[in-house]
Amino acid sequence: MRLLPSGTYHETYWTDHALWQWRTGFVTFALAAGLVLLLYVLPWRGSGYLLGVANVVGYTVLSALGVQLLIGYCGQVTLGHAAFIAVGAYGTGIGILHYGLPYPVALLIGALLAGLWSVLFGLPSARTKGFYLIMTTMAAQFVTVDFIIAQYVSKIGGRGVAFSLPPGTIRMGPAVIDSEREVYYLMLALVTLCTVALVNLFRTRVGRAWIAIRDNDIAAEALGVNIFTYKLLAFFTAGVLGGLAGGFWVSATYGLTPEDYTLAWSLWLVGVILIGGVGSLHGVFFGALFLTGVLEVLKAGVFRVADVYPMLADRFLFIKEMTFGLAIIGFLLYEPRGLAYRWHQIKNYFKLWPFGY
Amino acid sequence: MSRIGMRMVTVLLLCGLAAPLGASAQGQMITLGSLNDTTGPTSDVGREVALGIREAIQYVNDTGAVNGKPIRLRQYDYGYRIPEALTTYKRFRDFDKAVAVLGWGTGDTEALAPTVAKDQLPYLSSSWSNFLTDPKKTPFNFIYGPDYSNYARAGLQAWFDEVWMKDPRYTADRGRGVRPRLVAFFAFPVPYASAPIRALKDQAAILGFEVGPDQDIPLTALDVKSQVLAAKEFRPHVVWHGNIPMSVSTALRDAHALDLGADHIINSWGCDENLIRIAGPASERAICNIPFVIWGEASPLTPKIMEYAAKVNPGLPAARRSVRTVHAWQQTLMMVEALKRADQAGKLNGPGIREAFYTFKDWTVGLAPPFTITPDDHRPTSVFPIRIIRGGKLEPLTRIDLRAKYPDRWPRWIGN
Repeated sequence: MRLLPSGTYHETYWTDHALWQWRTGFVTFALAAGLVLLLYVLPWRGSGYLLGVANVVGYTVLSALGVQLLIGYCGQVTLGHAAFIAVGAYGTGIGILHYGLPYPVALLIGALLAGLWSVLFGLPSARTKGFYLIMTTMAAQFVTVDFIIAQYVSKIGGRGVAFSLPPGTIRMGPAVIDSEREVYYLMLALVTLCTVALVNLFRTRVGRAWIAIRDNDIAAEALGVNIFTYKLLAFFTAGVLGGLAGGFWVSATYGLTPEDYTLAWSLWLVGVILIGGVGSLHGVFFGALFLTGVLEVLKAGVFRVADVYPMLADRFLFIKEMTFGLAIIGFLLYEPRGLAYRWHQIKNYFKLWPFGY
Repeated sequence: MSRIGMRMVTVLLLCGLAAPLGASAQGQMITLGSLNDTTGPTSDVGREVALGIREAIQYVNDTGAVNGKPIRLRQYDYGYRIPEALTTYKRFRDFDKAVAVLGWGTGDTEALAPTVAKDQLPYLSSSWSNFLTDPKKTPFNFIYGPDYSNYARAGLQAWFDEVWMKDPRYTADRGRGVRPRLVAFFAFPVPYASAPIRALKDQAAILGFEVGPDQDIPLTALDVKSQVLAAKEFRPHVVWHGNIPMSVSTALRDAHALDLGADHIINSWGCDENLIRIAGPASERAICNIPFVIWGEASPLTPKIMEYAAKVNPGLPAARRSVRTVHAWQQTLMMVEALKRADQAGKLNGPGIREAFYTFKDWTVGLAPPFTITPDDHRPTSVFPIRIIRGGKLEPLTRIDLRAKYPDRWPRWIGN
């Protein structure tokens, strides 16, 4: 529910449906500052390392959006999302190398392929739910990456399972994408596009049908929602988003390897939305920022400690991993609704301030 | 959580955030980045290498460092996750200002190769993929052991020359004109494991082998009976193992239990003393592509290696060490040698270190065959030492010189 200041009412349907229902000067200022930070300060004042981290965050966001759609909005638990990211990546990479397509076209074809491939593995959702659906999505992971890509896709052009693209082959129109900054801008554009599309999709008939299926599929069916079609539509959209993530990642690495798309990455993405908050687009961003950021902060910590106790450095390599596990357990114990819920509470606190209720 | 507890957590987190900001630069130190896997799927070999690198760096710093400039090692466990390898590499480049990087896996090294070339940052990887040896494609990637593809050729050649042609078990088959049969066991989606397969099959064709269906064995396999049974229908004489000891030992034991009756050839990172410890008698007669002196074997550096292992990392005792410690020493000392030469030339930067690598002519510290690196060939050697497990020991079997054996083909066996 949205909170409006006392005495502020909607007078037209437009304002009632607007994404931003009301805005204070502070919020406008914060948004503008954020925009300047994202568009100028980070790419032009930040180091390549910072941009590299930002790109991984963006990749994680793009990858996790589809997972959030399936798990958080449609209630279809998926543990095989890396497979669809792989299809998008290989579709894009092979499109560029083997068929000489321009990058944007290859990216779109890769995304569509991933969407169709995802529909294929969404078919079992007509008959299965819960744990059984998890098993079929895990099958997607192994069938796609370990079997089809390793056995058949690698035969295309005789390149083997892992290959890289020649420098300069990835270009958006006249601009060659080959440095962190260009990848960063591409990432920003894709993330914005996908997020805006999803925000609006969730407000349409389709989005509401998905949420109905998540909340109670039998009730949704009784109310006339064609469950099967909408589930497949969800798988398709999630697959397209995954494919875009994969195609984007090709631009960041100029290379393809199945080791990028393991079951571990699928599980990682589920971790992202669990920590960020299931059923919230904010959650995807918070989760991706948290999981990527925590690793970098811990890395800095490990190096710092290694300076002071060089003899102990090896042992501290493990501490990073342990702290990471501890952070996840801490979240499940103390913040089970994810970072998005905390964000919601903080926002409401300031909206209600100075009143405590 | 109580209010006090919450505050303590916040303070701790803020300290963690502030820590990197307090880091100050120390003059006259050379920073070397190192990506290692001590917790991921290749940690069974990766952990010992990570420890070994630290020991070797300690040794270098104790014995004059790089012309008096000590090395600061930035070692990081990336858990075999490629996105983390990418960000860590960028951290080494921009934040730590590393002059060079010691790398690890094939997947991340190949993924980083275009970036490395653009940044002109020398990258000496534990992945010896043949793909990384063509300077036209990967000008700043170097490897510190014989490349996988040609090593696979050499291993097969060694089995053909020393076992198939000589062993009385095969006299009857040879007399009847039977072609030797080969099956490859490896993890299909893992670039390290799949890298040498094409070369292996090419060599099999050259030597007149029949090649059976490949078997997919994950790096963390605990049971490979179905793969062994599938291979058994083909009745192979020899099996190629492309994985790491954890999974190769499983394959050897299952092959032994199901009486596959084939010989084994094992990839560079798949065979070591630990394999014999785990697989026991099942590893008997296996051929191993190990290029270095093994743990405790006589060499000029062996006493130092053992001394520093005991001094720096007593937690991993000599009884549990393996050739992986020697891998780490070879990697570190090769990089340090290049740093020294670049520093002497007054060019301690990316292109300078690359030039220094090109001055390597029959260079060795006594751990491996002599290395020669040229501006158009990053394959360090054409001599491939082959070992065989006999009586639970890794004994030298032969040395294959592929350049001498195939002089016309050798120049083409690069960069793929």
